Amino acid sequence: MSLEQLSKLVEDGEAEIAQDLAANLLENGSDPIEMIEMLTRTMAHVGELFAKLDIFLPEIMMAGDALSAVVKVLGPYLDKVGGQKCKGKVVIGVVKGDLHEIGKNIVKLILETNGFDVKDLGYNVDSLTFVKEAEAMGADFIASSSLMTTTMPRQKEIIEILKDKGIRDKYKVVIGGAPTSQMWADKICADLYCYDAKSAPELMASLMKPQDETTR
Amino acid sequence: MATAYRLWEMLDRARTGRFMDEDDFLPRRFTPTLKKLIKKYEIKYDPKTPCPSDDAMADRIWQAAWDLFREVGYYNTDSHRIIEVSDEEIKEALYMANDQYWVGGGKDARLWKHRQVEDKTPPFCIMSPDITVDEKYHQSMCMAYLKEPLLDGFCGPILEETFGHLIESGGPTEISGCIQHIYNQKMAARLLGRPGTFMVAVGTAEHDSGQIAVSDDNWGVQKTDSRLVGSLTEFKTADTLLNRALHYAQYGCFTGNLTGAIYGGWCGGSEGTAVTTVAYSLIGLLIHGAIFNQHFPFHLNTCSNTTRELLWSISMAGQALSRNSKLLYTSNGFANAGPMTEMLFRETAVHAMVSTVSGWHLWEMASTRNKYRNRATPLEARLGIEAGHAVANQGMSRAEINEIANRLLATYEDLAADAPMGCEYHECYDVAKALPTQEHLDMFRKIKDEIAAMGVNFLY
Repeated sequence: MSLEQLSKLVEDGEAEIAQDLAANLLENGSDPIEMIEMLTRTMAHVGELFAKLDIFLPEIMMAGDALSAVVKVLGPYLDKVGGQKCKGKVVIGVVKGDLHEIGKNIVKLILETNGFDVKDLGYNVDSLTFVKEAEAMGADFIASSSLMTTTMPRQKEIIEILKDKGIRDKYKVVIGGAPTSQMWADKICADLYCYDAKSAPELMASLMKPQDETTR
Repeated sequence: MATAYRLWEMLDRARTGRFMDEDDFLPRRFTPTLKKLIKKYEIKYDPKTPCPSDDAMADRIWQAAWDLFREVGYYNTDSHRIIEVSDEEIKEALYMANDQYWVGGGKDARLWKHRQVEDKTPPFCIMSPDITVDEKYHQSMCMAYLKEPLLDGFCGPILEETFGHLIESGGPTEISGCIQHIYNQKMAARLLGRPGTFMVAVGTAEHDSGQIAVSDDNWGVQKTDSRLVGSLTEFKTADTLLNRALHYAQYGCFTGNLTGAIYGGWCGGSEGTAVTTVAYSLIGLLIHGAIFNQHFPFHLNTCSNTTRELLWSISMAGQALSRNSKLLYTSNGFANAGPMTEMLFRETAVHAMVSTVSGWHLWEMASTRNKYRNRATPLEARLGIEAGHAVANQGMSRAEINEIANRLLATYEDLAADAPMGCEYHECYDVAKALPTQEHLDMFRKIKDEIAAMGVNFLY
């Protein structure tokens, strides 16, 4: 039993076996912080393979499921030692009228594996729901995806609602999706445009001040 | 005879079929089944042959696609139920499907017929920019495309604004934008003396209400035109999409099935992309009542399909469909580069030639990854379609095109991720006259001559 074996099982998407091994390792005194840091490196490696399409979406999703299964086991142990650093809290969804969520699902997975706490609102999400959920979560980011030009205006609508409620500065608004662009982000005064999933963690982390990091 | 006669049975199954949680459908039903079938039927991608000559594997891809549709079904995200079909129903639909249709009206009507692999009959050619365009350029761009002599069907550019208002899906601005869209298209066709040209979609209409708003045999989408029903990735639908299938059938226009299997997504690699693409043709036939299937498989990262891993999938899918059915299907090019770049002309030519010899009809060209407003023109589509006509007329083989494709791929495939964006429409076309600039034409001729020197005998 070793951390390397655990890493391989997560990489290969073997959720149940990974979960059992993680439990065994913890019972035998493995450091939960060391385990989570190793798994973060594992998922970074998986992310790189996916970015080059050396592996495909099903493989990275299975690895993500395996990681989630292991994190469930790690959770109580991490709480005892002060929790895991959270780089930021994100509500993410596909805007109203849009049913395409593959891009959003990839971004969600990449953010979670890079230390962000993510609440997935799904697709066809009303603009006001984004705001309400962000308030309920105490989120740092509101991230919206649009795959069609005729649903892009909903991304602007989210920002307008934030302004109307006087809470624009509380959240960093991130946009993405095939028809979106930096030009569109500038036009609607979004805080960040993410061209692709792999750039999201670094770009979003750069918007956070060090004192904004929390534990989860 | 149209194929929508079983539509109500399918709509009923969208409500009463097997229940499944949406989160489970792709990872636990679609992808494992696809992987199993790829292994069972020994389907294997070879990067050296973007245009393979492998009849046996084409037939295996067909069988794998049949099994995929039958074993997985089609998932309705609104009802959380799976529409499933039987072997007998697939056989019935294939038997009843027509192998040709007259589309468009009056003197502009065109006969659209099924093609074989290496068929000497030229492909049916639909031209489309597939992108959004500034309101002020919309009618000019429609005219520019409709001036192309080899155009058999037209899909107009998409509006983002209607008389200065941002178009929002499902809202009144979309209704207005759709009417403006079809008016511009029809007016352009009339002004150019081809009023009955086959129009294949109103892309501004994302919501079903937008589509319904433009169904009018006098001023809107006519019964000699078609509209498209899309899918959600992968093998999923929703009530709003089924609404379209029903409306088009009841209104009486033709229905096209719109699909874009994602390489690198739930389909996996080239093998899965090919199988999924073929299976979508069966879905279009049985569930949407489509007379043709419009396919644009694309790369998850680059959003294009002109590099070898996608060309292979396109070629094999076309061969599978041609050899095993009498269906109609178009191969929609998605290029990396933008207008008035040599790369875009080469990409379009490769896509068109590979598709043509593999039995496809053509739909060219979504330039600049289908992502940037105003960045597509008819001239790249013209080159692709002339190349398609040339290789068909010449009776070129898959092996010959494979060699030409490899030579052209060597000039651009390593540049796919950082392709040049080129120009916007108004920068390389005379907007008032809807004609290409001389500089643009010179570049077109240069690349055409380059391809001719490789052994392609253009007809003029």
